[in-house]
Amino acid sequence: MTCDRTAPLLASLADGMLDGERRAMLDAHLAVCGACRASLGDQIAVRAWLTNTPDACVPDGFRDRVRARIEKDEGVFGVADFRLWTLRLAPLAALLALAACLGLGAKPSGALTGATTVAAASTGFSPSRVVDWERTVSGDALLEAALFPSQAGAADVR
Amino acid sequence: MDADRALVEAAAGGDRDAFDELIRRHESAILGLCRALSGGSADAEDLAQEVFVRAWKSLRTFRGDSAFRTWLHRVAINVARTHHASRGKIMRLFRPVSPRDEDPPDAVEPIDTRLARRDIVERALATLPDELREAITLRDLQGLEYREIAALLDVPIGTVESRIFRARQRLRPLLAPLLDRPVTS
Repeated sequence: MTCDRTAPLLASLADGMLDGERRAMLDAHLAVCGACRASLGDQIAVRAWLTNTPDACVPDGFRDRVRARIEKDEGVFGVADFRLWTLRLAPLAALLALAACLGLGAKPSGALTGATTVAAASTGFSPSRVVDWERTVSGDALLEAALFPSQAGAADVR
Repeated sequence: MDADRALVEAAAGGDRDAFDELIRRHESAILGLCRALSGGSADAEDLAQEVFVRAWKSLRTFRGDSAFRTWLHRVAINVARTHHASRGKIMRLFRPVSPRDEDPPDAVEPIDTRLARRDIVERALATLPDELREAITLRDLQGLEYREIAALLDVPIGTVESRIFRARQRLRPLLAPLLDRPVTS
């Protein structure tokens, strides 16, 4: 075993995590290599100092500041969080999609809309005439017929 | 069995008190990790706060494959790396080399207090390249196992061994004045 190959094993040995064949090979090398023995001593010394480094002092109010940041993020930036809104609005979107399929999409050909019916009643047109009217008349004329029945005869039927 | 599991599940369900308890359990370790990874920077507390804020946001994605502590360390490393990258860009704009890199621990500094000891260690760690600093911090300051470090850093265990060895080798002359003194807790 060469010194280059023993190097990483010295760290494990200093940590007490080397056993079996690797440990035996390293022990054999250390018995004849003073440089690696010195290196092992350094590993052990540095490790001892680092592992006895005092814990970091937690500043007063640390948890309060973390909580405040979380609340700030959720309060202000949470409004703009598109992922959150996507999740929250998903049920509403599903309902709207369902309503669109059941209601608007399933309208039979020739059915009258509410506004068209009002317009038809106020102007005296027959349903067949109204259906035709609905397809051809402008939106403004329909509204005018509904709001001002007395002038509805002048509706612009095109 | 992860000692934090019940708290993590409660916190993932939106229980703030459970998350407060998780912070209480890990704040010292995470703060220490952030201090070590940032070279004792004044930003360490901000980084530690950011770790817990991100953890809160991502708690639902935590699947429990590893211990919560390990997962939290991963979040901390990511936060520190992001911070270091952005800080590095700014530093390079204004000065080519950080003075901290040329400023080994001062042997005449008082080392009697625990705070001073920690400061000296952090300053020595600050001189290491990122990959060595991460490995040695996770092992000697945080007490993680080699396999945990390998998983966290996404490298083979042999690489972890090598990085820890080289980190200690580089720290040896920097801590020389301390190493002659007996280690006291």
